[in-house]
Order: sequence, then structure tokens, then C-alpha cells
Amino acid sequence: MTSTEFTVRDSRNHRTFSLWMIATMILFAAATILIDGKWIPPAAGWALTAVTGVLLVVTIHSYMYFLRHADELLRKVHLEALALAFGAGVVVMMVYRLCERLGAPQLDINDPLLVMCLTWIGGQVIGSRRYAAGEGDE
Amino acid sequence: MNNRLRVLRAERRWSQAELAERLGVSRQTINAIETGKYDPSLPLAFALARTFELKIEDVFWPDAATAALSPSSGPVRETDEGPGMDRL
Repeated sequence: MTSTEFTVRDSRNHRTFSLWMIATMILFAAATILIDGKWIPPAAGWALTAVTGVLLVVTIHSYMYFLRHADELLRKVHLEALALAFGAGVVVMMVYRLCERLGAPQLDINDPLLVMCLTWIGGQVIGSRRYAAGEGDE
Repeated sequence: MNNRLRVLRAERRWSQAELAERLGVSRQTINAIETGKYDPSLPLAFALARTFELKIEDVFWPDAATAALSPSSGPVRETDEGPGMDRL
């Protein structure tokens, strides 16, 4: 065991997912800078966008692999976090649509995405604490 | 669901980590089952019973909430007092 939450297999699969996610984020940031700054020709921009899309799919695939093979309690924690993130995203998007009609500034498509990512991470922390080993446990 | 995992484990002098290793699950899972925070899946419950060389009903038994789900026509086992109550 590498931690109280992760088995060796879970640690390995989670590390793989994390590496793909970091690679995708770096490529996404680089592509954004290069395309926005017009430092690359449009054809290269499209190619970079396609590669980013492929990396995102690979990242999601590695997360699904991690989930399918995860320890059952860990899977439960992650699924609850995903449900929370999805719910938070829906709430923000729907409620803010009404707020926009009432005069609030227009929502950027990335804002609900950020809310979902943060809620996903927060949900994992909450779930881990809920089932955490208490004091005096071996 | 109630269980006597902690007692069975103590009898064999196994740590939570040791039992988790045997079953291929995390120590947190074993701890959560022992403390009643988490009910294991059926395959894991069977695997646990097999590890202790016991029948599943000798390790797990329903609590009041689970017993309420029992069909009224069948024999109702007493719930919070440990396994084997159906033998009374």
C-alpha cells in the first residue's frame, strides 16, 4: 500500500492519469498562447488544436481506466465527486443564464468549467474525509 | 449492515493494512467497513468471508435499516445483536 486510500494499482493508474492531464494542460496553455499571439500559421494552429483534442480524449480514457480498476471505496468517492461537479456545473449554468437576463455580465464558457473542476477536487477531499480512518486506527 | 470484522481480524492478529493487502483493497476501505461508514459490495463481502474461512452471514448481518427491507413473509432475523440470531 502506498497510502491509506490508494492501493499500489490505484497509485499507478492515478499517476498515469495525472501525467496525461499535466501534459494536456501544458499543451492547451501553449496552444492558447501560440494561437492568440499569432506566432504560428493557421494550419499549425489547427494541427495543435487537434493534438490537444486527442490528448484530452486520452486523458479521459486514462481516468476511466483508473475508475474502473479502482478500489471500490475510492471509486465511490470519485463518482460522488463527479456527481457533485456535474451538479454544480448545471446549477451555475442555469442560474447564471437567468442572472444574465437580469443584467449580470455575460458568462464565459470556461467559468462553469472552472467551477466543475474545483467542485470535483473539493468533492474528492470531502469524500476522502467522510470515509477517512480515524485516530487510533491501525 | 453490521459486521464483526474488527473482532475477526483481532483474533488473527492481522492489521488493517495486512487484511487490505490480502484482499487487494485499500486500508481505508477496511477501516470504513469496520466502522460502519461503508457497506462493501457483494463480491468484496464474500471475499472477506472467504478470507476468514467463514460464511458471509457469520461476518455480516443486517442492521435495523437493512432489516426493514426484508420481505415480511420470510423469517426476520434479529439485527443488532450479532450473527446467528436466526438459530434462536
